[in-house]
Amino acid sequence: MFWRMLRGALTRRRGGRGLIACTTALGASVATALLGVVFDIGDKVSAELSTYGANIVVLPRGAAVVGDLYGDDQLAAGRTAALREDEVAQIKTIFWAFNVTAFSPFLDAQVTVTGVERPVDLVGSWFAHHLDLPSGEHAQAGLIDLRSWWELEGGWIADQDTDLALVGTKLAASQGWGLGDRVTLQGAARSADFRIAGLIDSGGAEDDQIVVPLAQAQALSGRTGQVDRIEVAALTTPDNDLARRAARNPASLSVSEWETWYCTAYASSIAYQIEEVMTDAVAKPQRQITESQGTILNKTSAIMVLVALLALAASALAIANLVTAQVMERSAEIGLLKAVGATDSAVVRLILAELTLVGLAGGVIGYGLGLGLSQAIGWTVFDSAITPRPAVAALVALGVAAVVLIASLPSIRLLLRLRPADVLHGR
Amino acid sequence: MAWLMLRRSLTRRRSRVLIAVLAVAIGSTTIFALALLAIDIPRHMSQDMRSLGANLIVLPADGSPALSASTVEEIKGVLTDSEVVSVVCFRYANVRLNQQPFLAAGTDLAQAQKAKGYWDVEGDWPDQPGQVLIGRDVASLIGLAPGDTVTVTLTQAVTAADPTDPSDQTDPDGQAPEPPAERSARLSVRGILTTGGNEDGFVVMDLSDLERLTLSFDLVDIVELSIDRDSASLAELAQTIDRQVDQVSAAPVRRLAHSEADVLAMLRSLLALVAVIVLALTLIGVATTMMAVVTERRAEIALRKALGADQRSIAWEFQCEAMVLGLVGGLLGAGLGFGLAQAISQSVFQRGVAFSGWLAAVTVAASVLIAYLASRQPVRRATLVDPALVLREE
Repeated sequence: MFWRMLRGALTRRRGGRGLIACTTALGASVATALLGVVFDIGDKVSAELSTYGANIVVLPRGAAVVGDLYGDDQLAAGRTAALREDEVAQIKTIFWAFNVTAFSPFLDAQVTVTGVERPVDLVGSWFAHHLDLPSGEHAQAGLIDLRSWWELEGGWIADQDTDLALVGTKLAASQGWGLGDRVTLQGAARSADFRIAGLIDSGGAEDDQIVVPLAQAQALSGRTGQVDRIEVAALTTPDNDLARRAARNPASLSVSEWETWYCTAYASSIAYQIEEVMTDAVAKPQRQITESQGTILNKTSAIMVLVALLALAASALAIANLVTAQVMERSAEIGLLKAVGATDSAVVRLILAELTLVGLAGGVIGYGLGLGLSQAIGWTVFDSAITPRPAVAALVALGVAAVVLIASLPSIRLLLRLRPADVLHGR
Repeated sequence: MAWLMLRRSLTRRRSRVLIAVLAVAIGSTTIFALALLAIDIPRHMSQDMRSLGANLIVLPADGSPALSASTVEEIKGVLTDSEVVSVVCFRYANVRLNQQPFLAAGTDLAQAQKAKGYWDVEGDWPDQPGQVLIGRDVASLIGLAPGDTVTVTLTQAVTAADPTDPSDQTDPDGQAPEPPAERSARLSVRGILTTGGNEDGFVVMDLSDLERLTLSFDLVDIVELSIDRDSASLAELAQTIDRQVDQVSAAPVRRLAHSEADVLAMLRSLLALVAVIVLALTLIGVATTMMAVVTERRAEIALRKALGADQRSIAWEFQCEAMVLGLVGGLLGAGLGFGLAQAISQSVFQRGVAFSGWLAAVTVAASVLIAYLASRQPVRRATLVDPALVLREE
């Protein structure tokens, strides 16, 4: 009897059930989308922040101290320490390799340019260097990823180009150079001709420099296979107490603390891992960058999570509101049921069973729609996809069930208190 | 008569009215809170960012000697007080500690502490002249810890605009260079400085200590300004300083401005999207409630029609009812929304949001508009009720 009534309730009066199904579908889709966004916000914001540039700089061990000293002749000899170019790719083999979004080696040299009185700073680097990793994977490293904020007139050059150079806008303006002009650079070892293929407007030191492929800079300065520094842009977790203690002295940590630190993507632990894979290297987290990233990441994620939760709460209330309204629609039918002798528990069972089935159908449809909606949000807000997570599905199922049931309780109580005679009379 | 009917219809069906008002209130609360946040977040965020380093650097122009104190005052004169978060001046000199050469930076340490939020100091910040911060690399090389005393000996003043340029070694005062390595001072180490940048190799001391060492006064090599402006107007400001102040070259730090703007754009589009979702939910909620109200009152509408009420007066009544609901919900929402925005802003930025009167007015107006829009379809249905059909059922 119960089943027949349930089937009847579901198949007849489709409009009312449809509305409840639609409501749950709506709630489920909004919840799926927003929860998906909540779980992904940290990653998305930190990916956005990696355009901030290098947050770890790797220097040769000697140069870490001596590198910034100058104006003293005795020190000129101190700069001979260098990193090895063949080890640069090792950075992609560390524990947190996946978090290293961009990196590039740099070789600095001073060259004399025909027609220019003062020496000019030359920088050699990778542009889009292809790497074959020991794991069999492929990666790309270089300035194109690392210096995404450069405004370039002309275009990027390739690592294989032997006669193309990028020139800083200030330098070009002071010498009256333009795109396509040729310059002759005389380095410590030999000289070479370059054609200006791009003008860099970076708002930084590069505006006064000439940038050429690493191999060319090595040839000019006679430092084959050498690199002065490597800049690494990594996705990092904002520092906490543990990270600060570890950065000061990794030896002060207990074994379990050390493991936690090593296996968390702090700037300091990534730097430590880079030092492990390179000979005589010192990797320094750039605190100005990591702290700025940390601040933006923490605040933005907090705001976004709170806003998404706020929207979730608002949708839950709205859905609850709708369910309440729709259950109350049924007063006439329930009145009739009671008039023909249905007990309170039978009425409650019927309504709940009906809600569960309809809600389940609506929830499944809504979850599907929500996956679509979350991708739409992902692409409009973050320019990338949102990862679908099983945890989200479980949370949505629980949340929607709770909202629908709780929302229907007051209206069910109201229905039970109805007097059949009143209802059927239409008052 | 119309008002009496309206009041009756609102008070008699309390639960329905409550549900509709709730729907509007939830929507307007969320939207008002989001709007307040959207306005205040960029301000809070950039204030927080400003304590993490300068966004405008002023150096002596090419070939010019160090900046004089009066030039720094001139630069400050270009700025309005309210937008300046901090101004820190640095003076550099080559010094020796334990016969090892290092770079000494002289600055107003109290200002530096405020402006360099990212400087990690192990120990304490110096609070009086005679105390220094030692860069981490320096400390580990010569084995210094907070509390130690160190003798700092001048080798020669650095006057170049760019402290990494060794070619320019003239004395700023135009006097003959002093014989090197003779003047020295004993200073106590207050803290060890870690930044990951050049500062790790510096000895940072109070400007007055460095001036006593170098015997050259009121000069600075670099001015770092932290200014509360967006990137476009910052570039303008740099040009203004270049034009109005002689012998200086100002450059905005673009990398910082760029990323900050990107993240804020991301945040704004998320707020907008969430607002749209909530708006849609509110619209649906109010429409469903009004539809139910109309269905429930078919008999009454039919009776009034039979008594000669025209379609317009019936439509007017329902629309008025919806708009009154919208008004009440909107007012509730404006109050709750302000509280919500305040709570979120306090928890994230430790600062409140400013109440915006016109935004509250817009929210209430929007709530009334939404209620009106949501009730249009139900009202059309109400006006189409055929009295004969409905009354026969009774």
